[in-house]
Amino acid sequence: MRTVILTAIASAIALFPVAGPQLKPLDEAGYRRVIDAHKGTVLLVDFWATWCSPCLEELPLLVRLGEKYRGKGLRLVTISCDETSDEPRARQLIEKHKAQPGYLKQAPDDEKFINSVDPKWSGALPGLFLYDRRGRLVRSFIGEADMTALESAIRQLL
Amino acid sequence: MKRLLCLGLAASLAVLSFGQEFKLGTAVSDFTLSDLNGNPVKFSNLKGDVTVVMFIATQCPVSNAYNGRMSSLANEYASRGVRFIAVNSNATEPAAEVAKHAMNHGFPFKVYKDEKNAVADRFGAQVTPEAFVIDKTGIIRYHGAIDNSRNEGDVKIKALDAAISEVLSGKTVERTEMKAFGCTIKRSKKS
Repeated sequence: MRTVILTAIASAIALFPVAGPQLKPLDEAGYRRVIDAHKGTVLLVDFWATWCSPCLEELPLLVRLGEKYRGKGLRLVTISCDETSDEPRARQLIEKHKAQPGYLKQAPDDEKFINSVDPKWSGALPGLFLYDRRGRLVRSFIGEADMTALESAIRQLL
Repeated sequence: MKRLLCLGLAASLAVLSFGQEFKLGTAVSDFTLSDLNGNPVKFSNLKGDVTVVMFIATQCPVSNAYNGRMSSLANEYASRGVRFIAVNSNATEPAAEVAKHAMNHGFPFKVYKDEKNAVADRFGAQVTPEAFVIDKTGIIRYHGAIDNSRNEGDVKIKALDAAISEVLSGKTVERTEMKAFGCTIKRSKKS
């Protein structure tokens, strides 16, 4: 019995070797605070989920973009739209792609949360939202983003 | 005649500009889907007294999380004249894959392909799963998510179920829209 339990624990650790900080829970008010805290920078917010394959394809590209323009004032914030039970997997992916520790959407009402980001957004993932240095939403990319168009939009704001 | 042509052109441009033609509270006009053998099928030949049009996917985990719930709803309302029509608009999911997926999950409703996402564009559908309830006069009475959580155990608001029930009993639909996270419909690249 003890062997079975130890094997199960070892398997769980092997599956989720997550050492970094947990993704911070985020609701509508928290989202507003994140935007406000990034005033003075150009902010790219990436809404993603572990079940969203285009999100996973985009994540390393976004991290690279974030690094490329970090010195000029770009910041990338990732918000996982997974359920709480999927947080370890989400954290594992964030660490794998060397993204900054991000957030986990944790709002009781998804619709209210989606509308607080952008009333025109359907909730489709991936969802990228680009804010200028004054914290104003200037552009969104829903679905698989055209990375050239995204980079061009970022450069214009920088 | 010239004036009519101008009006027609303006209407076409409006549709092209805004994409979405069928909106909540307005009537849908006829549209064409393809059955999984590639034959065109008109909505007017598919609809019931109340019709639920659901945009679904084969590969989207959120859509797949609802396979059982969609089947249960279709079975529950079949005897009350409600027709469920599933639409796959994803350019990345061919008809053969859609047919296999439908068979594997034993759907009690038919799934149709929406070539070049023309129907998704007319409905303004963005995500899978996404549902529209159309009453017997053709008016869209509900648009949005099936319920509030992809995890069946966390469901608190059964928005689609409630809307169908309200339309059937002639009541005003209390919650006419509900958003939820889902997969983007993979539209074909416009040339």
